[in-house]
Amino acid sequence: MSDYKKFDALVVGGGIAGMESSILLGDMGFKVLLVEKESSIGGKMILLSKVFPTLDCSSCISTPKMAATAAHNNITVLNYSEVEEIKKKEDSFTAKILKKASFVDPAKCTGCGQCELACTVPLLDQFNCDLIPRRAAYIAFPQAVPKKAVIEKFGTSPCTFVCPVGIKAHGLVSLSRSGKFEEAYLLYLEDSPMVGTLSRICSAPCEKRCTRNQLEGSIPIRNIKRYIADKHFESFPTPQKKEPKNILDKKIAIVGSGPSGLSAAYYLAKKGYKVTIFESSDKLGGKLQLIPEYLLPKNLLDRDIEEITSYQNIEVKLNTTVSSLGKLKEDGFEAVLLSTGTCHDKGEYPDVLKQKNVIDAISFLQNKESYEALSSKNVVVFGGNNIAMHCARVALRHKANVSIHFEKDRIDMSASKKEIDDAVNEGAKLVLNSQLDKLENADFIIYSIDPKPDLSLLKGSELESSSLKVNEFQQTQIPWIFACGDVTSGHSNILKAISTSKKAAFYVDLFLNNIDLHSEKFDDRLPAVKPNEIKERYNSSFPKHMQFLPHLRADKLSLEEIEQTISEEEIKKYATGCLDCGGCSECHQCVNICPANAIDFSIRPVNYEVEVDTVIVSTGFKLFDASKKEIFGFGRFPNVIDAMQMDRILAPTRPYNAVIRPSDGKVPSNIAMILCVGSRDKKVNNNICSRVCCMYSLKQAQLIMGALPVADLTIYYIDIRAFGKGYEEFYHQAKEMGIRFVKGKVARIEEDEESNLNLFYEDIEEDGQVKIANHDMVILSVGLLSNTSAFEPFKDLKLDSDEHMFVKEVDENIEPAKTSIDGIFVAGTSTAIKDIPDSVLHAGAAAAQAAGYISKKRRGL
Amino acid sequence: MSDKIGVFVCYCGGNISDFVDVEKVKDTISGEEGVAFAKTNMFTCSDSAQTEMINAIKEKNLDGIVIASCSPKLHLKTFQNMAQRAGLNPYQYTQVNIREQCSWAHTHNKEAATEKAIDLVRAGIAKTRNSIPLNPLRVNTVNQALIIGGGISGLRCALALSEMGIFAHVVEKESKIGGNLNDIGIIFPDHKNGYELIEELEKDIKKRANINIYTNAKLIKKQGSVGNFECDIVSGNEKLTLNVGSIILTTGFKPYTPEPNELGYGHPNVITLVDFKKLLSNNSKKGELIFNGQRVREITYVYCVGSRESTKEDGNKYCSRYCCSAANYTSLLAFDIDPKLKQYHIYRDIRTYGKYEEYYEENLRRGALFFKYDEENPPDISSKGERIKILVKDRLIAKDDILIPCDLLVLVNGMVANENAELNNILKTPIGKDKFYNEIHPKLRPVETVIDGIFIAGTSQGPKNISESVTSSMAAASKTASLLIKGYVNIEPTIAHVIEEKCTGCKLCEHSCPYEAISFVNKTDKVIADINPAICKGCGGCVPDCPEDALEVLGYTHSQINSMIDSMLLEAKEC
Repeated sequence: MSDYKKFDALVVGGGIAGMESSILLGDMGFKVLLVEKESSIGGKMILLSKVFPTLDCSSCISTPKMAATAAHNNITVLNYSEVEEIKKKEDSFTAKILKKASFVDPAKCTGCGQCELACTVPLLDQFNCDLIPRRAAYIAFPQAVPKKAVIEKFGTSPCTFVCPVGIKAHGLVSLSRSGKFEEAYLLYLEDSPMVGTLSRICSAPCEKRCTRNQLEGSIPIRNIKRYIADKHFESFPTPQKKEPKNILDKKIAIVGSGPSGLSAAYYLAKKGYKVTIFESSDKLGGKLQLIPEYLLPKNLLDRDIEEITSYQNIEVKLNTTVSSLGKLKEDGFEAVLLSTGTCHDKGEYPDVLKQKNVIDAISFLQNKESYEALSSKNVVVFGGNNIAMHCARVALRHKANVSIHFEKDRIDMSASKKEIDDAVNEGAKLVLNSQLDKLENADFIIYSIDPKPDLSLLKGSELESSSLKVNEFQQTQIPWIFACGDVTSGHSNILKAISTSKKAAFYVDLFLNNIDLHSEKFDDRLPAVKPNEIKERYNSSFPKHMQFLPHLRADKLSLEEIEQTISEEEIKKYATGCLDCGGCSECHQCVNICPANAIDFSIRPVNYEVEVDTVIVSTGFKLFDASKKEIFGFGRFPNVIDAMQMDRILAPTRPYNAVIRPSDGKVPSNIAMILCVGSRDKKVNNNICSRVCCMYSLKQAQLIMGALPVADLTIYYIDIRAFGKGYEEFYHQAKEMGIRFVKGKVARIEEDEESNLNLFYEDIEEDGQVKIANHDMVILSVGLLSNTSAFEPFKDLKLDSDEHMFVKEVDENIEPAKTSIDGIFVAGTSTAIKDIPDSVLHAGAAAAQAAGYISKKRRGL
Repeated sequence: MSDKIGVFVCYCGGNISDFVDVEKVKDTISGEEGVAFAKTNMFTCSDSAQTEMINAIKEKNLDGIVIASCSPKLHLKTFQNMAQRAGLNPYQYTQVNIREQCSWAHTHNKEAATEKAIDLVRAGIAKTRNSIPLNPLRVNTVNQALIIGGGISGLRCALALSEMGIFAHVVEKESKIGGNLNDIGIIFPDHKNGYELIEELEKDIKKRANINIYTNAKLIKKQGSVGNFECDIVSGNEKLTLNVGSIILTTGFKPYTPEPNELGYGHPNVITLVDFKKLLSNNSKKGELIFNGQRVREITYVYCVGSRESTKEDGNKYCSRYCCSAANYTSLLAFDIDPKLKQYHIYRDIRTYGKYEEYYEENLRRGALFFKYDEENPPDISSKGERIKILVKDRLIAKDDILIPCDLLVLVNGMVANENAELNNILKTPIGKDKFYNEIHPKLRPVETVIDGIFIAGTSQGPKNISESVTSSMAAASKTASLLIKGYVNIEPTIAHVIEEKCTGCKLCEHSCPYEAISFVNKTDKVIADINPAICKGCGGCVPDCPEDALEVLGYTHSQINSMIDSMLLEAKEC
C-alpha cells in the first residue's frame, strides 16, 4: 500500500456492489483502491444463507467475486480501514484513509485461527448478528478475504490503563475467567514483580476505575490477583532459577533494595544486564519489611523477593554501604540506579518528642520486642499516613487502648481511606485537629511523620543537594546515574516505587544502548476506552452481576492475615462479570500461540492520503433495529429474532449447526414471519418499502421448510412484492410448499410461560377480525435503511441526500449512479434499497460512469 | 500426461460434507495412479485455500490438479486462474462436481453418495492423467460495439460507450429512435414526457463522432466471434458490413395486448394503461378529463392484466414489475387533472416497491380506493352503453360483492418480450421460459449471454422501468468496455480438433455444426475437415457424426473420455 499514492478510482465499501465496480474498472485497466471497514470484503451478501430466486448458496456466489477482487492486478484492497475525508484537489480528489490497528502483521498471518482458540475475551459476533460470541482475536468468517486474523481492541481497558505499573488487570481477569491462573501469573510477571505483595497491599486503582464500579460494584481485581499469586506459590514454593537468553556484558549497580530497587533489578535482569544490588541492612525489602503480618505475611514477601533474586544475573550484597558513586564507576558499573528510599532524620523532631515514652513509627514497626509492654496502655499514634495506621493497628493487636491524633482534618490524612476505616473499626479513636503539645494521658506516643529521601550517599558527590532531581527519564544530572522510588518522589507508595523503577530501567536500557532517550516512548498504551463507548456497545443493558464482599477473618484483631483468599469457583464467578471494556484484554495468549509470530501489540493505526480521479461510494445499507418496534418484543423475548439472524441460522457457516430457537434450543414447529417490520411504517419514520424483505422471507420460508419439513410456517404480510425476474414463480413455489400466507398486520406479541409467543393480528381476508395465534418462534422481516456513514467523508464537499437519507442520484432515469458532486458516483444500495441483481447492475452502471468520467477528463474535455 | 496430480476435496461448509464423507473420499483416492497429494478443504474457493493450493503445486511440483467441489459452472474459472497463478497449465485442471451432481442429489444416503463421489473423483483423476496442456487463442478485438434496438437503453448504452472511447453503432428497426418511450406519456420520477428524454439523448448523440445510428435497419448476418464480429446490416436500402467487438441487445418489450373480451377489452371505454397515459398527456381541458368527448368522473384500474397468470395455460407467469408503480403514478396524474375523480384500483398485491410506495400512499391520501382480488376470482366486467360495471368481492368490510360503476376501465397491462425471430435465428441467443433473453447468472453475470461477446440489457432481459433499463444498459456498456479496452480476448482452446490421418473428407460433419465452424481444405494428398477456432464453441456436436473417430474436442479427447469410463467401471470390474 505504501508504494501507491495515486489511483484512478477509489471505491468505498467492499460489498457486492463495491467488488463488482472494482472488478469492472480493474478489467478496463484502471487502478482501483477498494477500502473496506471490516476485516474482510464481502459485505452483507457473504453472510446470507442462500439467495433468491435461484436458491444459490450465497457463499458460492460471493467467494469467487471476493477472490477475484483480491487477486486482481489492478485492485488494491485496504481492509479494516475507513475513508475519513474526501476533498477536491484541482481536478482530482484526495482521500484520507485510516487503517485501523489489527495488531496482526498480515504478511505473517497464515489465517490458521490458533489465536481465536487461545483468546480469552468473548465479544458479540457481528458476523453472526450477535447470536453467539466470537473472540476478540478473530477471522471474520471462514471464507474471509483476506483471510487474516485481527484483534479487536477499542482502547485500553480502564482498569489496565489506570495502573501506574501497567499491570494488565483486564488480562488477568480474562485469564482467570478461563481458569488460566498460571498463565495469569506469567502475564503479571511480564509487567511487574512482587505479585504476592501487590495482591495484598496495592491500593488497587484498577478497581476504582472498573466500569462495574458504577453498577453493582467493581470486579474484585486485587482478590483475583491474590488467588493467582497464591495458586502459583502453592505449586512452586520456591522459584526456579532463571537465566535470560542473552546475558549482556554490562554491569549495573542498584543502591537500595526497597520495592523500587528490587523491581529495577528485576526489569534490568530480565533484559540480560548483570545487576548488583547494594543493601546496607541485613535484609532485602526496605520499607516492605515494616508492613505488619496481618496485612502482608513475611513468607509472601520473601517469596516475591526470591522470584527476583532467582535471576542468575542478579548479585545481592547485603550489609554493604556504598560510600562513593565514583567508586562504582571505577568498579565497572556502567550505570547506577539510586533507590535508597527515605529515612527519618531525628534532628528534625520537635522538642516535645525528646521524651522517653516517645518512639518514631518506623522504629516501632522494626522493634517487635517492645510490643509486649503495650497491653492495656494508652497509646497515642500521632500522624496521618499509612505508617501511622499500621502502628495503631499493631498496638491494637497487642491490647493497647489506641487513639490516632492528627493535626488537621481527615481529608488531609495521606493514609488510604481503607486503612483509616479499618483502624477505626478495629477500635482506634480518631482525634482530628489535635496538637502534639497538648496530648494527655499517653503512656506511649508513636510519632509518624513522612520520612524524607535518604540522600546520605550524595554527600561529597556532584549531586549533593537538599533534594535529588531527575528528569523525565528518571535520570540525574550525571547521565549514568538514574534514580527511582521514594528517594526522588518523597514518601509515597509501592505503586509509585515500582512504576518509577520500571521507567528508570526502560531508560537505563536505552542509555546503555546509546539510543536517544527521546526516541522511544516508555508508556505506549492506547488511550482508555471511554465509558459511553462501553455503554453504547452494550446498548446500555449491561448483564447483571453481583457485588463482591471481601472474606475477612472472624477474629478481627488476629496477628495473622485478616483478608482471606477466596475459592477458585468464586474467582471465576466474579471474573465473568467483567465487561471486557477495551475488547482485547492483552492476555497475550495469542502472542504465545501464534506459530507465525504475527501478533504485534505495538501496531498502531496508520493514516494514508491518496489521490484519485474518481470515487464510487458503495457503503451499502443498515438493517432496521427491530427493538425500536417495541410491540414485537425483539430483545425482550428470546424467540423473537430478526431476519438477518434467521439467515445466519440457515447459512452454511451457521452458528448453531441446526435450526433451533434461541431460548431453549428446541426445534421450532410453528414459526411465524412478520413482514414489513420497520418499513412501510410511518411510526418508525420509514414510510417506503424495503424491496427485498418479501423475497428474502419467501426464501427463508422455503429453506426452513427444507430443514424442518414438518414445521408449520405462517407469513403475515401486507402485499407480497415478488416483482423481479423469476420472483413471482418463486412465490408460487413457496405457496405450493404449503406455507400459509395471512394478509394482516400484527398488532403486538406477548410471551407465554413456555417462551412461546402469542401474536395478536388483524386477519384482513377474514373480516378483518383480531385473532390470536400461538407460535414457538417469530422472525421479524426487518426493513433496510440508509447507511448514513456514506456522507461522513464529505465535509467541505456536499454530497446530496434524498429525503430518506440515501445518496441522491441527480437524474435517476438517465444518469444512474451520478451524484451531486461531479466525479463522485454511487453504487448499489447506498442510493436506494436494491436486491442483489439490481445492485450488481447498478455497480456496472457506476463503473461505466466512473470510466467515462476518467476518459473524458483524460481527453481534456 | 500428468503423473503428479494433486487432488483437493471440498467440504463446502457442509453443503458437501453433510451428505458425503469427504475424508473418506480423500483417503480412498489418495492411492490412485498418478496422485501425488490429496487434501480436504472447508471452502476450497476461499482465498486462503487457494493460496495453500498454489503453495502445494509449487512445492510438490504437481503437474495436474483435480478439485472435487461444486459445478464447474461456478468455479471452473476460479480454479483455472488459481492453477495459472501457480504456473500450471489451466487445462491440466479438472473440476469434479460432487455437490450439484452428488451431495445435493443424494441427501438421503450418505454411504452411496460417498461411493459415487469416489467414482466421480477417480474419473476426474483419469481425465487429468490423460490431459495435455492447451493454450488459449488470442484474438485482437475491435473497439466498436453494435447495439440492436434504439430505445432508451440502446441510446444510453451508446452514449456510455462513446464516453469510454468505444465506437457505438445503433440499429433501430423503426423509422425513428426512442422505442416505447415515444408513446409513454409522462413518466416518474421527474414528470417529464418520455419523448423529451429521447430528444435530450438524441441531441447529445448528434454531437458525437463515435456514434452511428441506423434507422429502418436490421441485422441480417453475423460472422466471427467475440472481439471481432462481422455484422451485415441493412438500413433502408443501404447494405453495409460492420466490424464490431461486441453486440448488445436492447430490443425492448411490447406492451401486452389483452385478448378480445379479456376483462371487457374491446369495449370502447376499456383501454390499456399505455393508451390511458397517452390520453392523459393529450388532455387539454383543465380540471376535466375528457375521453371520447365525454367528461370522465369515475375510473377503475384492474391490475395484473397479462401478468402473473399462474393458472392460464401459456399465460405469462411472471410479474411485469413496473405496472403497479406506473398505475399508481398514472392515477396521481389523473388526480392532477381532476382532483374530484373517483378512482378505484382492483389489484392482487400492490407492488410499489422502494420509494414508489409513496405514489401508493399519495393515492390513498387523495381518496383512491383499493380492492384486492385473487387470480381465481377476477372482477366481473359488464357494460351498459358507455358505462362499465365491475363486480368485485370486497374482502375487508362487506365480504359481499361490490358493484363499481365507472366511465373508464383501465387495464393495467404488463410487458411481453419482442419476438425477434429473425434476429434470434442469426444470433442464437438463448431465451427463457418467459420469452425474454436469458442471462448466464442473475447475480454473477447479469448482462452476459452464453455466447461470448453478446450482451443483453434493458427490457429485452425482463420487465424493468426506465431507470432500471438504463442502469442495466450501462452495466452492459461497462462489461463491453472491460472486454474491449484491453485490445484482445482469449478464446477457450477446448474446441474441436481434426485428427488428420483419420479424416477421409466424407463431409458428414459439415452440417452437424450449429455455428458453421467446419470447412474443408486441401491437404497434400486429400481433402479434410478444418475447424475455425474462433467460431467453434467446443460443443462436441460434430464428434459423434464422424464415422472415423477423426474429430475430438480438446480437453475431452477420446483417450480422456475412455479413461474416465474405464476408471468408473473399475469398481464394477473388481466385484
